[in-house]
Amino acid sequence: MFRGVLATCLILATLVLGAYSLGTRRERADLAYVNASGIGTLDPAAMTWKQDIRVALNVWEGLAAYDPTAGEVAPAAATTPEVSADGLTYRFAIRSDARWSNGEAVTAEDFIRGWRRAIEPGTAGDYAFFILDYIAGAREYYSWRNAFVASLSALPHDSAERTRLLKAHAGEMDRRFQRVGLSASRENVLTVQLVRPCPYFLDLCTFATMLPIHASIEQLRASQNGINLTNEGLVAYDPQWTKPNYRRNGYTGVVTNGAYAVESWSFKRFLRMRVNSFHRDAETIECQTVDMVVIGDLNSAMLAYERGDLDFLPETETAYVHELVRLATTGERKDLHNFDVFGTYFYLFNCIDAELQGVANPFVDARVRRAFAISVDRALIAECVTGRGEQPMGNIVPTGMIEGYAPPPPLQYDPAEARRLLAEAGFPGGDGLPPIDLLYNTGFHHERVCDAMAEMWRVELGATVRLRGREVKTFSEDRRARRFMIARAGWYGDYADPTTYLDLFASENGHNDSGHRDARFEELLNQARGLNDGRARLKLLRRAEARLLHETTPLIPLFQQTQLIAIKPYVQGLIPNARLIFPFHRARVNR
Amino acid sequence: MIRTAINRLLLGIVTVACVYTVTFVMVMIVPGNPFAAGERNMPSEVLSALEARYDVNNPVRYFGQFLAGAVRFDFGPSFQYRDWTCTQIIAQSLTVSATLGFLAILIAVAVGVPIGVFSAMNRGKWFDHAALGFALLGVSLPTFVTGSFLLIVCGVFLKWFPVGGWGTLGHIPLPAITLSLPFIAYVARLTRAGMLDALSGDFVRTAIAKGAPHREIIWKHVFRVAFLPVLSYIGPAAAQAMTGSFVVEKVFGVPGIGQHFVNSALNLDRGLILSTVLVFAVMLVVFNMVVDVVYMYVDPRVRNG
Repeated sequence: MFRGVLATCLILATLVLGAYSLGTRRERADLAYVNASGIGTLDPAAMTWKQDIRVALNVWEGLAAYDPTAGEVAPAAATTPEVSADGLTYRFAIRSDARWSNGEAVTAEDFIRGWRRAIEPGTAGDYAFFILDYIAGAREYYSWRNAFVASLSALPHDSAERTRLLKAHAGEMDRRFQRVGLSASRENVLTVQLVRPCPYFLDLCTFATMLPIHASIEQLRASQNGINLTNEGLVAYDPQWTKPNYRRNGYTGVVTNGAYAVESWSFKRFLRMRVNSFHRDAETIECQTVDMVVIGDLNSAMLAYERGDLDFLPETETAYVHELVRLATTGERKDLHNFDVFGTYFYLFNCIDAELQGVANPFVDARVRRAFAISVDRALIAECVTGRGEQPMGNIVPTGMIEGYAPPPPLQYDPAEARRLLAEAGFPGGDGLPPIDLLYNTGFHHERVCDAMAEMWRVELGATVRLRGREVKTFSEDRRARRFMIARAGWYGDYADPTTYLDLFASENGHNDSGHRDARFEELLNQARGLNDGRARLKLLRRAEARLLHETTPLIPLFQQTQLIAIKPYVQGLIPNARLIFPFHRARVNR
Repeated sequence: MIRTAINRLLLGIVTVACVYTVTFVMVMIVPGNPFAAGERNMPSEVLSALEARYDVNNPVRYFGQFLAGAVRFDFGPSFQYRDWTCTQIIAQSLTVSATLGFLAILIAVAVGVPIGVFSAMNRGKWFDHAALGFALLGVSLPTFVTGSFLLIVCGVFLKWFPVGGWGTLGHIPLPAITLSLPFIAYVARLTRAGMLDALSGDFVRTAIAKGAPHREIIWKHVFRVAFLPVLSYIGPAAAQAMTGSFVVEKVFGVPGIGQHFVNSALNLDRGLILSTVLVFAVMLVVFNMVVDVVYMYVDPRVRNG
């Protein structure tokens, strides 16, 4: 009797849990694709992962968008902007048929709201510099806000003085923001005043950080005692505003203005997009629903694709990826596409710290850096070690990807010159060189690449290399703190201009992990920044890249990154492209 | 019996409190900042403000606040997944893991116990050898091998079940079977050993001498004793099945709680680390308590002290 009751209870409990955990039944979407890691955040101001940005650019629409078919930036929520002769003022007329997913018209104010939010301390993410570095007054506003936040830290948590300061500051914020070069007119025109000419500003407007935010988010703004700031002086919103079915204070879920709206989102399971019925192209969009399915193991995702459960794999890092690359390259499988992307795989030198944990760092000497950089046979690595069809590359800016940019001569493989340089720097035949600490993140093919380079340096230069593999978080922290002599790196360009790469080596750049400082390089970058003449600008940047490669050499470029994706033959309109941007509203599925 | 149950309950609370404290200390001393890890350009003053907002730089306050929240099932925000609270993450993933775990244990008992009984009854014969071989395989083969095998055969070739993900009934059987395999093997071995031990007992000889039917001897006398080790094993096994299914979740794309055990630590997501550990500790304690109570009911030696 007892055993029977117990077993019945267990079975019932399993059934109830099973039914609850499965959730409501979903019909198969018109298009289903995989996202192995799930969504980090759907907040455009904070997102940095391309998987998140992929969703954001399908559910939101910026002033401009990258068109993979044409391979160029095209107007989106606004018409082609009027640009002043000095290149400092952009006037974007918001399209009259631009609509939010609740039917309301998209306004210039919505863009200002989104951009302002993206530079608020505490919300500002890695790409806030798109606004801070280019829009007049933005940096000053940000610094003013940061200074206020810092000033509060000295005050007791609940003091009257803190409350008084918060109130005064909150009252001042709007007035201060009016000094930022952003304004909206009654005709729904957004005027943007730039700090300096920026020929690629329209390209910046395609990025997630530059998306508009609907006014309903204000219902979720944190406030206390009538002040719209947190006790720490931050502008904070309920972080759950990105959910489609979130209800609070009259908020009815995230409102977006892209071709799709977020219909449902289940953590680490799926996100379903459904056509925004108010979008101007709604009637012509064939894929009415798109599912982003989370399958953590890409081997399983590939099986799901083969079985027909998925139609599109933007990532294919399986255990047998080499075989897939071969099938794609030989054309045996038409659904697999292996192509160059706007990304560079390289290694960094620690250029600045003379001593690392008691060991002298030889890479403070540019000659040693150059010796190590030119003694790596990158063609051999691309062909025999990685084997994914990568093009070996001796430049930092991927070649042929930026219109009008003629890259400087690349770093050449020259072991004899490397040995000469090393001897000149006081390490003949590698004598006197300390063990070289090489930091890399484990996984993918990084370890094999490190092994190959270590062997090349041993044979050509007589150097002893100690490999230090770390999981990605620890690796990032060590690299940021410059706890390395040589470290693995990689970069995907954010916009079609050489500065998206060259700025990485500017002394004040937050991503300058090499600690590289060079007055001449900075001077060339600054000269280019002031120019409105595109051709002259690119010439200066070419000289800056040449200096980086052949004079100061803070890096070892190895190859241009490639990406293998899988698109079912019955799916049309998803174009493999270097920026890995896939607008699903252009897809046509004919099973 | 009630007094014993209350004692167990108090002991369980102390155990959970100890686990929470030790985990909290470890979380606090581990190097790295949960905010700094994602934001490369964040000014130090903003970092300090965010730390103050979430009490990251005030461990004593955080210790109490988190615990007070946890009692109300409010585990606070996740530092890694900003759009979700830890409570939402736990609620969504625990139901998935609980479903799989319960099913795995049900399958393990339903399959493992008969295998163990028949194996013991046929000691030294081909069935016994086959069962022992199966048990050895079940314990030795890692779940990523058995899972991938089932996925390829039943998902891709036979197309019986969908491959990866969660959302339909078809998504449940393959991960549940994969998860249950090691437990089936262990339950079968425990049952077999228990049966062999019980079969040599005096009470069995007495029952045979008294002329009791063979079937009755096996299922009423021998099995009742032989099942006790299995019963002790089910408690921790159920907790392990529900929370330790990281590999199975990974292979089948199942959004369970196992992945958060590993990923929250890698992401330095303090709230989620503490939440998952607390949930696991509570489950372990509760399952063991349930088993203890059932044990008292089933075994008169325990019930009567």
